[in-house]
Amino acid sequence: MEKKVAVVGYAQTRYEPDSDASREILVLEVAEGALKSAGITRDDVDTVITANNDYLDGRTISNMRLVEPAGAWLKDESKVEMDGAYAALYAMMRILSGDHDVALVIGVGQASVYATYIPGIMTLDPTFDRERGLLNEVSAAALQARAYMNAYGITEEHIAEVSVKNLRNAALNPLALRQMPDLTTDEVLDSRMLYSPVRELNAFPPSDGACGVVLASADKVPGITGNPAWIRGVGFSHDSYLTERPLHKLESLKLAAESAYAMADIADPKEEIGLAEIHENFAHEELMAYEALGFCGQGKGGELMQSGATRIDGELPVNPSGGALSANAACAVGLARITEATMQVRGEAGERQVQGVTTALAHGQTGPCAQENIVFILGGE
Amino acid sequence: MQSGNSELKNVEKVMVPITPDFNWSVGNYMEKFFDGLKDGKFMGVKCPACGRVYLPPRMICERCFKKMNEWVELPDTGILESFTLASVKVDGDGELRDLQAPQLIGMVKHEGADTCLVARLEELEPGEARVGMKVKAVLEEVPEGVLDILSYYRPYE
Repeated sequence: MEKKVAVVGYAQTRYEPDSDASREILVLEVAEGALKSAGITRDDVDTVITANNDYLDGRTISNMRLVEPAGAWLKDESKVEMDGAYAALYAMMRILSGDHDVALVIGVGQASVYATYIPGIMTLDPTFDRERGLLNEVSAAALQARAYMNAYGITEEHIAEVSVKNLRNAALNPLALRQMPDLTTDEVLDSRMLYSPVRELNAFPPSDGACGVVLASADKVPGITGNPAWIRGVGFSHDSYLTERPLHKLESLKLAAESAYAMADIADPKEEIGLAEIHENFAHEELMAYEALGFCGQGKGGELMQSGATRIDGELPVNPSGGALSANAACAVGLARITEATMQVRGEAGERQVQGVTTALAHGQTGPCAQENIVFILGGE
Repeated sequence: MQSGNSELKNVEKVMVPITPDFNWSVGNYMEKFFDGLKDGKFMGVKCPACGRVYLPPRMICERCFKKMNEWVELPDTGILESFTLASVKVDGDGELRDLQAPQLIGMVKHEGADTCLVARLEELEPGEARVGMKVKAVLEEVPEGVLDILSYYRPYE
């Protein structure tokens, strides 16, 4: 897909454990910020798509009362109850329909509001797993991590190195919650054990925050910016419930990536992609994603990590922003990946700018053990 | 986390004076599964198209887009596909609290099944758990509720 829809503006809040703001104020901050970044006003926006969740917000129709801060009053407006990257997909489709030119996309999550790990439990099978009280998003991730480690000889050190890389990168991201410039592998391996092999520093930090982006059609882009991040490809796929699929690989991410690559005309992802922002709720998922995205062979995620290729100074930097291990406001996470990829291809990533990135990958996921995955390929001019 | 110019943190928690209860039906298939457990039987369903066996039973094979009607009784033994040693559990307030004693949780694929059940693992030391080990279901004689009939899995052979 060449030059049809582009990201032309973005904004994020700071990610915090307990922000001193309501959900509405977080959304207002990124809505105003994203429009300002694009140099447009609310009047220029045709459609508004948000990502939020009834269960996380503790109210049904969770987009109700987000209409005001999102500037969506009496506009074409809708939402997804999924990761924010799916809101970007929805908005992109609205533009591709030909009926809309400019979309404002916002994802928001406020972990300080909800009982942190209960919504994850509510995503489980209610007739068996939920009632037994053993599974939750962290224990499920631990079962996935063990299955992956066992299949390919991946070690806890390989996984800890993902945390070290990302949380050190986060020190260059002023909006990240966990900034740990001096973190060592030993410190990760000494952090609080949750469900083996998942430790506190291998798991996402529940966060408050929001992210917004502005998408525009090819017709409108030239009037908005000379530096767009074009959406060159997108793919998404939905796998089985966690107990009904092999947990040692991310098949739906592989299929999502293959569709996105086909659309973007990418034959050799490791060579052609300059940078990737992966939605890793748990450190081992980043290694699994390397494999699913074709950055290395099946089972070689640990080796790729150890080669240093995915460090910020490596040949294929992954999560220069710090990734989802450094800030994790549910429903904003995938949109934050798209935002970072946009900043990098536009050369606007400040201290963590990777030089010469023309093509970047952004990933989003929803569901326990990364059940659904979406991949965007973004490219600069 | 108190910040400087607090707009909101002076607000106390507000309690809503209602508790929503949900009464899900487990459906015919899970009812048959639970009835089987009462008799010490593991009842799964088999896809007429691909032959995949679902335990717990599901009504539709997602791979074949087919309704499944064929019931199969499976052995009470299986393979440990994955496990975790829990140092914490999710408490009633949704936070992770340390357990007094760590607990093994196993994901088990019964012989003849293609999907897994998640339950406690007992009668072994944490260090003895291995992916691929054979395990056997231990059923509760006098369960507190229908879900407690499948008590845990233990090593077998």
